[in-house]
Amino acid sequence: MNISAMQQARVAAPAAATTIKMHTPEPSFQEREFAGTVGTVTVDNPKIVSRNVNVYYGDKHAIKNVSLDVGANEIVAMIGPSGCGKSTFLRCFNRMNDTIDSCRVTGEIRLDGEDIHNQKLDVVQLRARVGMVFQKPNPFPKSIYENVAYGPRIHGMTKNRAELDELVQLSLEKAGLWEEVKDRMDQPGTGLSGGQQQRLCIARAIAVSPEVILMDEPCSALDPIATAKIEELMDELRANYTICIVTHSMQQAARVSQRTAYFHMGDLVEVGETSDIFTNPRHKLTEDYITGRFG
Amino acid sequence: MSNFSDPASPAAATARSKRATDLMRQGLAARHRAERRFRRYGLIAIVLGLTFVLFLLTSISATGLPAFQQTYVELDIYFDPEEIDPEGTRLPKTLSRANYAALVRSTLRHYFPEVSERRALRELYKMVSSGAGFELRKKVMQNPELIGTTETIWVPTSDDVDMLVKGHIDRHLPESERRVSDQQIAWIDQLMARGKLEKRFNTLFFVNGDSRQPELAGIWGAVMGSVYTLLVTLSLAFPLGVGTAIYLEEFAPKNRWTDLVEVNINNLAAVPSIVFGLLGLAVFINFFGLPRSVPLVGGLVLTLMTLPTIIIASRAALKSVPPSIREAALGMGASKMQMVAHHVLPLAMPGMLTGAIIGMAQALGETAPLLMIGMVAFIVDVPGGPLDPGTVLPVQIYLWADSPERAFVEKTAAAIMVLLGFLIMMNALAVYLRKRFERRW
Amino acid sequence: MVEQHTVKRFDAELNNLRSLVLKMGGLVQEQIEGAIKALDDEDLDAARHIALRDQLVNRYNVQVDEDSVNLLARRQPMGSDLRLIVALEKTVADLERIGDEAAKIAQMVLRIYDSGGTAPNHGLLRDVPAMAELALRLLTGALDAVARMDTDKALEVARRDADLDEAFGAAIRHLSTYIMEDPRNMGHAINAVFILKALERMGDHSKNIAEYVLYYVKGKDIRSIEGKQATDLAVTSA
Repeated sequence: MNISAMQQARVAAPAAATTIKMHTPEPSFQEREFAGTVGTVTVDNPKIVSRNVNVYYGDKHAIKNVSLDVGANEIVAMIGPSGCGKSTFLRCFNRMNDTIDSCRVTGEIRLDGEDIHNQKLDVVQLRARVGMVFQKPNPFPKSIYENVAYGPRIHGMTKNRAELDELVQLSLEKAGLWEEVKDRMDQPGTGLSGGQQQRLCIARAIAVSPEVILMDEPCSALDPIATAKIEELMDELRANYTICIVTHSMQQAARVSQRTAYFHMGDLVEVGETSDIFTNPRHKLTEDYITGRFG
Repeated sequence: MSNFSDPASPAAATARSKRATDLMRQGLAARHRAERRFRRYGLIAIVLGLTFVLFLLTSISATGLPAFQQTYVELDIYFDPEEIDPEGTRLPKTLSRANYAALVRSTLRHYFPEVSERRALRELYKMVSSGAGFELRKKVMQNPELIGTTETIWVPTSDDVDMLVKGHIDRHLPESERRVSDQQIAWIDQLMARGKLEKRFNTLFFVNGDSRQPELAGIWGAVMGSVYTLLVTLSLAFPLGVGTAIYLEEFAPKNRWTDLVEVNINNLAAVPSIVFGLLGLAVFINFFGLPRSVPLVGGLVLTLMTLPTIIIASRAALKSVPPSIREAALGMGASKMQMVAHHVLPLAMPGMLTGAIIGMAQALGETAPLLMIGMVAFIVDVPGGPLDPGTVLPVQIYLWADSPERAFVEKTAAAIMVLLGFLIMMNALAVYLRKRFERRW
Repeated sequence: MVEQHTVKRFDAELNNLRSLVLKMGGLVQEQIEGAIKALDDEDLDAARHIALRDQLVNRYNVQVDEDSVNLLARRQPMGSDLRLIVALEKTVADLERIGDEAAKIAQMVLRIYDSGGTAPNHGLLRDVPAMAELALRLLTGALDAVARMDTDKALEVARRDADLDEAFGAAIRHLSTYIMEDPRNMGHAINAVFILKALERMGDHSKNIAEYVLYYVKGKDIRSIEGKQATDLAVTSA
């Protein structure tokens, strides 16, 4: 007996016909409007503390009063529809927004308790401590070796060539790329595959021993296998680094992160344990976004 | 009720799509025709353009190629000690003052002993270029041992003889309407028959400076003038242009002031070049008191002219460097200067060089502003440096085109060929550099 | 209905899954009614039919399993969608068990009346109809709650399950008096216990279903929170 036969079998209709309006789950905030961040923004041992951060692009208010802590050795995922400001917020952490003329950042961001906007903290030093990996793999059009050695060189982190060689190898090993490239260190980094290029960029970032690694949609240009390798790498890196990742893929956020923050139109709508956000979001906007009802 | 009234029925949908397909098919032929027509127009335009270029090149080559040959006459010169150095001192001063033309004349008289009348003799002497005497002097100055010996040397004939041999003077015209007399034609034919008159490769054209005598006029002076001018231009315009471009593109804040600068630079590129000449005249010559007619001033003026080109090309090259490279460098903690020096500049360099070479090519072909600063003067000596008076190739072409002698027509065309040759070489260099240093990212 | 997904097909698939579960629920209700009626009428053919039709129930179960796995794999549901599929998947497992219990009653009917022995004392089965009605009411309530994702209904079912447990206890006590009265009742009494136990289990499964509804709506598993606290949570957020 197949299903069509089953349909024909005289099955009594259940008491409730399927036309009856169903109660949909009701998150604590029923309205779709933003009324303050839901969830706890603070953590016990914060690496980065941000309070009331506002970002303006000219007249556009891109980030509205966002407060969010990032715990040490934790992966925080930032999700949200395009243009919600998640990348902008991420770029506040290493002051990459400074490079945009019309961009203005207010509020307080502390790295290990030290205000990153403090005059005494050089932005060059900040960026060495807070590394960044970009959406499109962007190795320098130089050799693989030079790509990784660039950071230590400009910051004068090694005394001689032997030390530098060692550091380059260590960084590539940490990025899981050493075995694949050790025989062609002098070949251009741009000749690698997309996933390898991205891991090269990660190796380049960790070569300067950062404390935090910011990743801006690091896998959006990669195939699933390369993506899986990066995600595995992130999991390994978590032991030594704090990682913030912006991603368009909710599955990726769900897979790699411990905490997830949902941004919407420049607001931080909800933040919480990743498992809670993806099974039981509390804000209607979060719910609608992660279940695919808009965006 | 027709099918169309029921949009949901599959039959109606099929009918609609069939009708749409039919309509599309009707229009298809017209669309293809339009496309073919457009392609034909393009082809016609290209063929026309190529035809014009070909016509230009053929006409220039046809006119100019004979200039690379020159009629020479073989003279058995007896370096008569009585004529050159009767006292036997061998002093350079005496040697340089001697009347070498007399040696040439005596050889000619020796060739045609039957000529004795003064008038006829003058006609005979006129057949050999006045440069022959200078040639002999040069030889004797170099090697005084020659005195007292007999040497066979080839010297250029006068331009009229040259023109006749090359067929530019019609010997069937009545004698009064041509510049070569019947008597001279007879001598030429005799010399030709004796193998003492023939066309040879015109080395003088490549080693001499300008001259009133077409057979002695060469382009080396103009070439050297152009080289010095361009050296001055390149060494000033390239660093200045690249520096300006880098500052404007990477460092300058984007505000109304930099916008104004940008608009002005773009406008400068469109300013007629003669205006720069006037500016150069007013500023460099009248105000700073630099000498006239020198490649230095020419180079300064051309620097002003090519700067906008180089700035615009360099900025375009900088803009084409992907922002991801800049972000990568900044994200590593490189300072802005390090970002530019280590990453942006190497990637933009091929484009900048190309822009610079195109600017140089433009400067090489420029005439008008140089006329304003006196580089149009008649200068025989080859300039030995940027402070010696000189002229440049296009101005030389202009000067020769203005000269009345028939022989200058082919010199003009030949000079144009040389100029075009340099331009093609520079453009080839630009292409080569672009290919050689282009990096993919 | 589940609506407003950007991917409309996802809505349709979720609704399909839900109506499949509700249809299965309807079938299971029919199975219970049929089994009880067969017991009442001592109708052996009807009892055999019920026992056989359990396979159809199982087939629904398989179908819902397949559909849910497909949805999980292809749509990667998150949030309430994920909870809905998990809740429906678990509901279906409980429905299948209820179907098994109905089939078990039908088999008892066969054992009691097809064994060629004496017919049982009527008193032995006198508690069955009342309990069956209670069990059916719980199941109907649970299915209602699933159909509308109605937390009030679900809470009521969860509470009313205690009534069924109480009725089961009372029925067992009745049975024991019969056994003490006449040990020859023992064989039939054991059969009766099976039937009563089956009905009692149905109540438990219905309660589970009601709890899945609460899980779907509240996002919390009500079973992890004990007693009054759970009720409070359910009530306050209802």
